[in-house]
This record gives sequence, C-alpha cells and structure tokens, in this order.
Amino acid sequence: MPHRFPGARTPLVALRYVVVSLVAGVLLFPLLYALYASFELPKDYGKFVGLEALTAWNYGQVVTLVPLLRWYLNTIAVTAIIMAGNFLVNTPAGFALARLNFKGKRAVFVLVLSIMMVPLQAYLIPLYLFVAQLGWLNTYASLTVPFIVYCFFIFLMRQYFSTIPREYDDAAEVDGLGKIRTFVKIGLPLSGPALVTQMVLGFTLTWNSFLIPVTMTTDKSMFVLTVGLNTLKSQYYDFPTVTMAGVILLSVPVIAVFVLFQRSIVPSLASSGVKG
Amino acid sequence: MPAATSSPPGAPTLSRRPRRARARRRDTTSAYVLLAPALALLAVWFLYPIVSSFLLSVQAVNVFHYSQRTWVGLANFQRLLSDPVFRSTIRITLTFVLIVVPAQTVLALLAAVLVRGLRRLRTFYRTALFVPYVTSTVAVTAVFMDLFTVHSALPVFFSRLGLADVSWFADVHLALPFLAMIYVWMNLGLYMVIFLSGLQTVPAELYEAARVDGAGAVHELLFITVPSLRPFVLFVVISGMIGAFQIFDQAYVVSGGTVLGGPAGATSTIVIFIFAQAFRYNKLGSASAAAVLFLVVVSLATLVMRRIFREETRAA
Repeated sequence: MPHRFPGARTPLVALRYVVVSLVAGVLLFPLLYALYASFELPKDYGKFVGLEALTAWNYGQVVTLVPLLRWYLNTIAVTAIIMAGNFLVNTPAGFALARLNFKGKRAVFVLVLSIMMVPLQAYLIPLYLFVAQLGWLNTYASLTVPFIVYCFFIFLMRQYFSTIPREYDDAAEVDGLGKIRTFVKIGLPLSGPALVTQMVLGFTLTWNSFLIPVTMTTDKSMFVLTVGLNTLKSQYYDFPTVTMAGVILLSVPVIAVFVLFQRSIVPSLASSGVKG
Repeated sequence: MPAATSSPPGAPTLSRRPRRARARRRDTTSAYVLLAPALALLAVWFLYPIVSSFLLSVQAVNVFHYSQRTWVGLANFQRLLSDPVFRSTIRITLTFVLIVVPAQTVLALLAAVLVRGLRRLRTFYRTALFVPYVTSTVAVTAVFMDLFTVHSALPVFFSRLGLADVSWFADVHLALPFLAMIYVWMNLGLYMVIFLSGLQTVPAELYEAARVDGAGAVHELLFITVPSLRPFVLFVVISGMIGAFQIFDQAYVVSGGTVLGGPAGATSTIVIFIFAQAFRYNKLGSASAAAVLFLVVVSLATLVMRRIFREETRAA
C-alpha cells in the first residue's frame, strides 16, 4: 500500500489542489504577464489581444535602444569568471577543513563561520574606496576579484567532503598519494553533487546581483543586465512593453538553470537562505 | 545529497576530534597550500575592508583626498543618532521587517501544509512557488511597478476596496507595503521549502492520535504541526528578520535611480541610507557609522540564531 501522508483526507484533497494551484498562479502571474506583454505592440499594451497580434518587435527595439548585447556579454563574462574562481578557491579550502589535520584548523573554521554572517553591505564603502584606489572602477576586476572567495561555499564543500568515508584516505595512503594529490585524484571526482550546488548557486547569485555592479560601474558599456534593465526601465518608462522584453531576457537564463538543477540547489538554499 | 541538508538550517557544527591516533598525524603544509588562495583573498577582500569600515566610522575623510583623514572619535555616531533622517530610516526598516516577517512566515507555513498532502504535481508546485525566489529582484520589481501603475487593472481593482487609484510605488503610504508585497512574493517559496523539510520530521503517529481524538484540520495545524515545527518557525522568523533588515534592491529600483528612498523618504531603508549617504552625498562618516551599527545588529542576530539552533537540535 502506498504510504499516505498524515493529514491527507480524501474530501479535502481536491480543495487542496485548487488552493495550491491558485497560490502557484498568483506567484507565476507577474512573470507570465511580463512574457505576454513583451510580445505585444506598444499600442496593444494593457489590452488582451489574440496570438496573431503578438510580435517580437520589442526584442528588436531593446537591442537597438540600449547596448543589451554588450550587457549580456558582460554578465556572462562576470558570471563565468566568478564561477571558475569559486571552484578553484573554495573547493580546496573546503577539502582541507574537512579531511586534513593541521595546526590552526579550528581557528580557520571559526573564521569562515564568522565571515559567513557578515553582510556585504557592512563593508561596501571601504570596498568601493579600495577598488577605486586600484583604478578598478568600471572593470570586470571590480565585479569579480573580491567575490571569488565565498565562505558559504567553503562551508558547503567542507560539509560535503566530511561525508566521504575515511577508507578513501587509507586507500590513497596505500597508493602513496600526498594530501594534495588525494584532493585532486579522489576528493574532486567524488565531490560532484556539492560542486554542482556551488556552481549553480554561484551562477544564480552573480547573475542576479545588483548592489555591487550598481556601486562599481557608471560606464554604460560596463553595465551588467540587472543595472542595464534598471536604467532601461527609467529611461523608457513610456514603453513598458520594451522593458518587459528586457525583463524576460534577464530572467530566462536563471529560471532555466534553476528548473534544470533544482534538485541540487533547493535543499542547500533551504538550509542557508543565502540571498540577502 | 549535499551534506548541508543533514544538519538543521543555520546550525553549522564544529569538526569532531579525530578518533584514531593514525589520523592525528598532521598535514599542516598540505592544508595551508590548499587553503592559501582562500585565506589570501579573505585577507585582502574581507579583513582589510572590514577593519577599514570600523576605522572610517571614527574618522572624518576629506572627500577630495580620501587619504586625508582625521580622528573624530564617536562624533560620527553622535551626529548619526541625532539625525532625524537616520531615525526615520530605522523606523521605516523596522516597519518593513514587522510587515514582512509575520506575513511570509504564516503564508509559507500554510503553503507548505497544503503542498505536503499532495501526491501528484508536488515537484511542479514546488518549482512554481520557488521561481520568484531565483528571479532577479530588478526584473521582478520592474514587473510589479508596471502592474501597479495608476489606472492599471490592479490599482483600479483595489480602488474599489477603498484605496486610491495611484501608482503604488509613488505613493507615500503605499510605497513601503508595495515593497513588502514584492519581498514576500519573492521569498515565499524559500520559506515554504524550509517548512516542507520540517514537516518530514513530524511523526505521523501524532496526527493519527489527533484524528482518533476527533481533532479538525485547524486543531491539527495549531496544536501538532506548529509546535512540532518550533525550531523551523524560529529559523524562518529570525533569518527572515535578518534578511528583511537588509532590503536594498527593491527600494533602489522603486526610486527609479533619482532620489533614493523616494517617494518623500518613504522607502529609505537602512542600506539605502548607507548607500545614499556614501555615494550620493559624500557623507562617509555618517555612512560608515551606520554601516558599523548595521553590522553589529546583523551579526548579533545571527549569533543568537545559531545559539538557539544549537540548543534546539540538542533538545530534539
């Protein structure tokens, strides 16, 4: 017999489906509305028109009115650099904290845990001044280099590496592998699920980030999509359909990645609540 | 499964002492080789700015020459605390937290209880409820501003219920509730998932016993589900407070890049205040003092949350 969930009473189940569908409808409506409006001509805006009246006109407009393709390129470049950096820096750190014994281990781990609770907004001003001093404003460096090390990801990798059985270390020792080669040859291949989590979260957080790019960039050609969309919205507020095309172009990649990888990111998002 | 799921949310545990003598052999060199990039980057991009942040809060900076600084002691804090704008910022931020936290906690709990009983389409519903959380705040805010522009369907609908037909984001009274609505809409899915994982820990026998006693659905919710979920409710409330306290993106987008915190300062939250003081008005002293207070509040709240969580899990 299939296991019945406690509290699931047959007469109530149909009602539940209705209520949950309504809630899902409310949550999805704004994005579906944006999708629909992005294919409407400005003259049809606010009205409900048939499918034959829909057009990609707004998408043509948005790439000519603003340097949208450039913003896309910037966003992809920044996201890719941060993801690669995250992988190279946080993964070995997590491995060391999980699998190796060394002097100062506890101190390093407490440091990582403490930094995890400090919000970026608390040191945004000195960060900005420092980046400005280096002459990095309006460069990819200002958007990437400070955000490669990320303590939550070190913690995430450390928790995962802790679950790998000790026997693997013994096997590595028998094979005469040093600790660093144990990390590369045994740790990394086994860390697949946690790596996927780190990469997908890194992608989502960077793609959506707004505070940092809006602080570090003033040159239009260095904008990422979030900052670009914000200026597009204020500049062309008479053409909401064009803004909606921008909304869709910004949202689709991250929603697609989420739907594909939700199994690997939902549990860790739930246990962290990383987004500010 | 990522290991982070096995421990309760927000409750990192310290590493256990190695059990076997052989494992006690030290790998200090290898460990620091593996840690070196992370530690070096943390020193430059975290420790240095965080120390500077504290220093800036007790200094006066020449905005034309950032290197010219003088010590002013606690003057920045004194000026900040007597600044009526900062006081209203605190009031606005706390109001926001007080609207958002109860709303998202109750709604997420109800959504989780509803979704749990469903055998079909569970993944679909979970995805649908989670999509707003992963969507860019700028994109979401842009859509909501469009939906709540004067004479659009929604403001017209709400005008029948007694509200004025105005652009919500441009109205002094409605702008903050408007931000709260966007915020709750985005975070509902996250907190629902946390409650869903909590519901799996409630023993089914409790419900069966209640049913034998003839308890209704509301009684079950209030007297079994909610008490069993105590640690999860605490987590959602406290981390929800910490999160809502940091609201920035929505408030920035709503002001349209003009005067931050608009209309008439109605959405001037604490991070908006810090940002505007520093980058619009060049008042680095006030901004840094506010940033230090902000840091202290958030860190203390996080510490309290971790402490509570360690105790809750020990008691369980």
